[in-house]
Amino acid sequence: MLELLRLSRRFGRVVALDDVSFSVAEGQIVGFVGPNGAGKTTAMRIALGVLTADAGEVRWRGETLDAATRRRFGYLPEERGLYPKMRVLDQLVYLARLHGLEPGEARRQAERTVALLGVADRARDRTESLSQGNQQRVQLAAALVHAPEALVLDEPFSGLDPVGVDVLSGVLREQAAEGVPVVFSSHQLDLVERLCESVVLIHHGKIVAAGRIAELRAADPRHLVRVVVAGASPGWLDRLDGVLVLEPLPDGAILELTDRAREVQVLDAAREAGEVRHFSVIQPSLTEIFRRAVQA
Amino acid sequence: MRGLWRVVARREFVERGRDRGFVISTAITLLILVGVIVLSSVFGRGTRFDLAVVGEGSMGEDVVAAAAALGIEVTLVEPADARAAERLVRDGGADAALLDGDRILVRSNPAEQLVGVIQAVALRERSKAALVASGLSEMDVDAALAQPPLPVRALDPVDARQRENAVVAFVGVLALYGQLFAYGYWVASGVVEEKASRVVEVLLATVRPSQLLRGKILGIGLLGLAQLLLIGVVGLGTARAVGSLEFPSGAVATIGVVLAWFVLGFFFYAGLFAVAGSIVMRQEDLQTTMTPLTIVIVASFFVGINATQDPGSTLATVASLLPPSAPLVMPSRIVLGEASGWSIVLSAAVSISATIALIPIATKIYSRAVLRSGRVRIRQLLRAERS
Repeated sequence: MLELLRLSRRFGRVVALDDVSFSVAEGQIVGFVGPNGAGKTTAMRIALGVLTADAGEVRWRGETLDAATRRRFGYLPEERGLYPKMRVLDQLVYLARLHGLEPGEARRQAERTVALLGVADRARDRTESLSQGNQQRVQLAAALVHAPEALVLDEPFSGLDPVGVDVLSGVLREQAAEGVPVVFSSHQLDLVERLCESVVLIHHGKIVAAGRIAELRAADPRHLVRVVVAGASPGWLDRLDGVLVLEPLPDGAILELTDRAREVQVLDAAREAGEVRHFSVIQPSLTEIFRRAVQA
Repeated sequence: MRGLWRVVARREFVERGRDRGFVISTAITLLILVGVIVLSSVFGRGTRFDLAVVGEGSMGEDVVAAAAALGIEVTLVEPADARAAERLVRDGGADAALLDGDRILVRSNPAEQLVGVIQAVALRERSKAALVASGLSEMDVDAALAQPPLPVRALDPVDARQRENAVVAFVGVLALYGQLFAYGYWVASGVVEEKASRVVEVLLATVRPSQLLRGKILGIGLLGLAQLLLIGVVGLGTARAVGSLEFPSGAVATIGVVLAWFVLGFFFYAGLFAVAGSIVMRQEDLQTTMTPLTIVIVASFFVGINATQDPGSTLATVASLLPPSAPLVMPSRIVLGEASGWSIVLSAAVSISATIALIPIATKIYSRAVLRSGRVRIRQLLRAERS
């Protein structure tokens, strides 16, 4: 289990992290979610020892994380970085060596990782000659090359095309299946919902919600309805009582109702207003859960 | 884990050593070096002449003997006739031709020393003939004319060895200057490269900044040393092959001195170059932060050049003890025999102490600056408690 315990960190007058705690169990994929500047990168940098915390500690398998253990972690920094002029394979061998692998093992792992991420055919090329997407894959290979014990990935999906997203999702699931704890930050909440069982929501340096997504949903008492009506005159929703528009959609909206009884009222009003194309009672999405947590 | 700096150093050495620009520039340096040595052995013959002698009454042997007394080596060539002699002079096969003992033939500029010797010999032979003709016995005439040359006492004697050493010292200073600059710049630009490409964050998740810096400096320094050694060995080998060095042992000692002071100078400057690199984000800004170092190295270089001519001056003496200028001044003083044993030890000790004192400060600034973006102020970094 990777545990971040009561981490605090300031930059001058800005509080980047305020008493942040969460944990990632072996084999678990945790999504780390929050707006820009919420403190995700700071927390991840502290977990990897690139930054120091003002207070709090990071534990791995119950013990305070030291430099030797950290080197067995895999890290993808938010600011991507590779040696532009180095050849892809040489670069991965070098990083594997820095992570403590012997030369022969480093080479084997580097070859395995480029194959895993589908860039084996570019292994002999200079990194700068690769496309952005392929450089991103090499960057991920750099985080995985030493068969890490834990994975900390800062925005791993940004910059990937849909095929790359699928490849990476598969890799992360495999890693988790092998018992590696995986934590990654992302803005793409739909992706987090698909990939993670648990999430940690951070806002202004504070954890605002954390846990299994299903439980967070169950704990959300709101009644949400998604409705789409063709040919309705604008503003038909404004006339309804006890209904709040959470998110406007084309020809419709996601609505929050004060109580379940109002579902029928909304449906009646929709039928009056035009041709109902869609009407469903929905569970709150991660976006909704996050919005609510932030407002609380 | 310990020893990680070795992995870093190895990368620096291997990646830079096989960089095409490095290989090409090293090859060009070696070509120029070999070319200069070969050419100077061809043109810098000095006091050796070939004299073509034709016809009877020639004074060839007398000229050789007279020249030898003045320290000039003359080799005789004996072409078949005057026409062959003329061809030899025209082609450069002979520096002059002496025809029938009464005419001297040269190409355009007479080789003055050779012609002077021939004229002196000819004058003596003619005087002798005239005196014998006037009735004096040949023996008396010979006895009267066989006078040794006047002794010359030089107020400022030119020592051939010293002159050669000055040239060797000059080449050494030039090499040290180029090498310190090039490899110091590599340290700085290597730091910027890692910062600008942001790979440094990936690296710092596994190695400490001090390990990264140590590996970088040692790897680059080792490459500089290897390159310098290669240049020295090739230069020495070429010079020996063409026989242009009269005192090769002096050259070997010079190469040793240059290598030793490269090590002292490079490690003194490397930490400072790393700091210059760590406080900027882009290669373009590096020139600005390197300016103070550039000024110090260029000034030291001029003092060093001056010291090859005047190694005993107060300026050279003082500069050879100060760590920033010692690597460019002390080698000349050693090669030219001006440095006493204790001053060499003192200079090296001061350099090493200064380096040992500087490295923790440089490492501290580097560690704090290397993850920051934008231009960083050194004073801020020293004051800040954490990065």
